[in-house]
Amino acid sequence: MKQDYRNNYDELAKGEHRDSHTHRDGTYHHKHRIGHKHGEGFSIDFYAYTSKIRHWNPTFKVSLSVLILILCIVLDNPYVSVVVIIAMAYLTIVKGELPIHEYLSILTIPIVFILLGTFTIAIDFSKQPMGQYNMYLGFCYVFTSQAKLKEVVFLILKVFAAISALQMMTLSTPSSEIIYELRKAHVPKLIIELMNIIYRYIFILMDVYTKMKNSAESRQGYCDFKTSCYTFGSIASNMLVISLKKANSYYDAMEARCYDGDLIFLEEDKKIETTQIVAAVAFIFFLILLWGFTR
Amino acid sequence: MRKPILKVKDLYYVYGNGKSALDGVSVDIYEGEKIAVIGSNGSGKSTFFLNMNGVFTPEQGKIIYRGTVVNKKNLKELRKNIGIVFQDADNQIIASTVRAEVGFGPMNLKLPKEEVLQRVEEALAYMNISDFKDRPPHYLSGGEKKRVSIAGIIAMKSEIIIFDEPTAALDPLNALMLEEVLAKLGSEGKTMLISTHDVDFAYRWAERVLVFCQGKIIADGTPLEIFQNRSILKQANLKQPTMLEVYELLVEKHLLEDTKAYPKSTQEFKKMLEKQVSFLGVLA
Repeated sequence: MKQDYRNNYDELAKGEHRDSHTHRDGTYHHKHRIGHKHGEGFSIDFYAYTSKIRHWNPTFKVSLSVLILILCIVLDNPYVSVVVIIAMAYLTIVKGELPIHEYLSILTIPIVFILLGTFTIAIDFSKQPMGQYNMYLGFCYVFTSQAKLKEVVFLILKVFAAISALQMMTLSTPSSEIIYELRKAHVPKLIIELMNIIYRYIFILMDVYTKMKNSAESRQGYCDFKTSCYTFGSIASNMLVISLKKANSYYDAMEARCYDGDLIFLEEDKKIETTQIVAAVAFIFFLILLWGFTR
Repeated sequence: MRKPILKVKDLYYVYGNGKSALDGVSVDIYEGEKIAVIGSNGSGKSTFFLNMNGVFTPEQGKIIYRGTVVNKKNLKELRKNIGIVFQDADNQIIASTVRAEVGFGPMNLKLPKEEVLQRVEEALAYMNISDFKDRPPHYLSGGEKKRVSIAGIIAMKSEIIIFDEPTAALDPLNALMLEEVLAKLGSEGKTMLISTHDVDFAYRWAERVLVFCQGKIIADGTPLEIFQNRSILKQANLKQPTMLEVYELLVEKHLLEDTKAYPKSTQEFKKMLEKQVSFLGVLA
């Protein structure tokens, strides 16, 4: 699995696009389905590293996306939301060179949540037929109105714009840089250190889990439901033991390199270009103007 | 007489579960030595290394670094000067980019940032991994991870570098690369300790061999002395290096004149055979 990602990394780093990739079992099949095999978290992280706008100053990217997120919510204007959605997609797909179907595939998860969440706002139940549109379900009426639907569409746009602003950040800024920004924003040191270690540990545990799962699978550990449950439990408890062991050896390795209580990493300051700031400021002014004219 | 960099005196270490891991270990390490530490699994090699670095505190015994006895106060000085490359790179790599990982040690030394950056660049170039300094460790292969973990120690510029089973889990190409790095470090006069199960490697690389067995050093000498001593090999459950075994067999069968010039690699062996062609000719 790791090898697989590494190959992809090399491919993407060379600017080649992968339409299909080899899975562990060695068969080729189309990757761009809804719902990823390896879990979305892994993929998002992976896209951040291959993004072409990764070299942009992380402070700039993080503050831009947070500022736009706030604007989306504060201005509460559908035109602003639409412009933000388009602009963020432009940044991620055109500037960041993320394939469009990958982008859409990543967005499907929040879209599903947004639709499920807003659906309940749009409809209402009653004993009597009422509202502009209603439907009889046998025991009660489901009804809605044009105003309600409009409100829901605007809400969807707003949420979606906010999400795409954050998505722009996560798809172009590796976690380590985001954590670095949080450190600069004076988030407590303990939380920063935990974030750093947890981030690194996720991949180690996933690796360990995959190895254990494969070895269990090769010994018929998942042949029926009962065995699967048993295997899963054994793996889970074994993971705990291994985590403790790994934590110990990590600590030894850190101590051997003069660790004395403060987890500090070397971070690189990336240059910020004036054109980027100008463009960002212009964009934000444009959003505010747009809001002013369409109020 | 040369002065030892590191003196280890009567070291005893007992694990939390009461199992004794080191049972009176004494050894002097001199500048520029290339030492192979051999011994079966669980013979105390790794524990010895962690004690030398001050990660484990010994039950009894002293570690003397350049004339000063190591205690809690100057522990950092010891750690700064003795770097360990751990067996499993996955247990060593803590940061989420290669650059941050290599910079972890120098950052802990509280060096100014420019100095850290310069050291990191140097170490990356040294290990030939400058290309992926921005990559996260989870998108690296095993060999690349090993190189990152070695670069992390090189960046600390420690006097003694300890490698805990560096060739384990490396493919032949990466193992070759590792030997090149070791040769390069050796030519710069770095003191190195390597624990290994590969007796052929120990025989060809080391100038001095320490044999561990059940928490004790049972032998300390040149590779030739150690590997010709069959009782020690038997006690430590080791086998003879192939090259030495072949040489001795050839001498025993009178196919080769015993010149006491023990070849360490196949190249050396070939050269020796070419020299002795006349002798072989007489036999034919």
